[in-house]
Amino acid sequence: MAQRRFWSLRPSTAREVADAIFANFLLHWFPARMRASSLAWTPTFWLGTVSWVLFVVLLVSGLPLMVFYIPSVEDAYRSVKDIEHVVSFGWWLRAVHRLAAHLMVITVTLHLVRVFVTGAYKNSARGSQRREWNWAIGVAMLLCTLLLSFTGYLLPWDQLAFWAVTVGTSIVSSAPLAGTILRQTLIGGREIGEATLVRFYLLHIVVLPIAMAVLFGYHMWRIRKDGGLARGAAAGEGADLHTVPPVVRRVAVVTMATVLAVTALAAFIPSPLLEPANPGVTPNPAKAPWYFLWLQEVVSDTTVRLGPVHVNGALIGGVVLPLVLVVVLTLWPWLDRSPESATGAAFPRERRVQNAVFLGIALAITGLTVVGLLRGPSWGLWWPWEAWPPLPTRF
Amino acid sequence: MDPDRPEQPARRSALIRLGTAAGAAALAVQGGIVLRSFVANVSYDTPSRVKLGLPGAFPEGLTLVPDARVFVSRRGKRFRVMSAVCTHLGCTVRVEASLKADPSDPDTRRATQVFQLACPCHGSRYREDGSNIAGPAPRPLPAYHVALAPDDGQLAVDLDRETAPDVELTVP
Repeated sequence: MAQRRFWSLRPSTAREVADAIFANFLLHWFPARMRASSLAWTPTFWLGTVSWVLFVVLLVSGLPLMVFYIPSVEDAYRSVKDIEHVVSFGWWLRAVHRLAAHLMVITVTLHLVRVFVTGAYKNSARGSQRREWNWAIGVAMLLCTLLLSFTGYLLPWDQLAFWAVTVGTSIVSSAPLAGTILRQTLIGGREIGEATLVRFYLLHIVVLPIAMAVLFGYHMWRIRKDGGLARGAAAGEGADLHTVPPVVRRVAVVTMATVLAVTALAAFIPSPLLEPANPGVTPNPAKAPWYFLWLQEVVSDTTVRLGPVHVNGALIGGVVLPLVLVVVLTLWPWLDRSPESATGAAFPRERRVQNAVFLGIALAITGLTVVGLLRGPSWGLWWPWEAWPPLPTRF
Repeated sequence: MDPDRPEQPARRSALIRLGTAAGAAALAVQGGIVLRSFVANVSYDTPSRVKLGLPGAFPEGLTLVPDARVFVSRRGKRFRVMSAVCTHLGCTVRVEASLKADPSDPDTRRATQVFQLACPCHGSRYREDGSNIAGPAPRPLPAYHVALAPDDGQLAVDLDRETAPDVELTVP
């Protein structure tokens, strides 16, 4: 038989199906056969795929932005203003990049919630699975996503950026013992300035994207090793579906829908750019990025006074609480003692309590975020339809 | 003994261990060197001793000096310099002035102007003297050592030297 040179997306034989996977660089991370149930929209909602597509959108939209952006205190604001108002379609590139970043924080978080409530980090007895490790890698990827977004927040060097990062990095300095030196190492001095901008820029465009790509590769490799989507023993053995073309088609649909959504939203939602950063004047109110608003609520409510001893709320809300949450979240698969029958099932009886606690914490975080969104001048609460009051006389 | 896997001579396994340890040590030292380079040896921040201006240039009450992020408080010939950086998370606090009715005056015609300092970030409030009264601020705003510069008579503050809150500089 003559050796085939090309693979086909419309295979007619089982051999051609396999060739489409083995001979194609992009498709080779899929298995040649999958379960039909893996194609379903629920319970995954394809959130992992959507997150990955958003990451690629961020890489692609970030490149042209890097052509125009200048990472220096003197030129950063001007260059972002040029991107927004002078460069042809610069506003659109910036909006795509910004919205994809915000959406990625949402989809990665929802992906984590989905994996938790369906117990997809649990191993079934079949084969040698290490799904708990993939969960830990996933938590690291969520942290990477948040850090990528936060380091990008500083780059426009406007008031919004400057004060969000001032507050964020001050939280670091409230850590005991090493806090001050940690903050100074992170921002390259005692105050936020040129050194901070260069450090954040490098983290944003080199260190964190590479870390993310490596973690992503590991994440996908583990899914293959663990035999695809998690499911209980009741699901039975056997993959019953050729990957090409149905899975490829489904991935293409998800990719296009994601890109379409970001692109369309970018045309209607403008990106804010406040006045240039001014270390002397803090805007009123000054808020963290929305995904850190719940932490900002906690740091502003947890200052403890025991007689003469004051414990800064930044230590409790900004260091201790997030650290405990991340550690417990990472280790949860090893702490979860539910039976194997709860693997891959949505809201099973055996995991009722832990799902309830998890969703309770998720609701509390969402609630605090909403409260943070409602904050107005002098940290008062205002409904969105209420006008903010005139500020008191300032000197 | 398994003929396919002859036992390794002790010398060879010792060398393997030595090599591994040397490689790990080299990586650790070089990693430490890179990390150490991130800790600044020289600060190009604004200097900690700053001249704020001639005493006569400051009005009564609190004046913000934005570049140094301090308040100059003047009462007649007495001066204090106090940080404008919130002790919670480092935002710049603002002066808010309001009128407070004199309780001894039933017609509320007399009122005194009182100052409070408010942080826009998380709602901390301070009295005029810097003591924290509300919100998450864990400490009062620190006061700094202030003196007259010997060369030109300006108020010169040392931001690395805190003083007690009631220390004042009396200018002749």
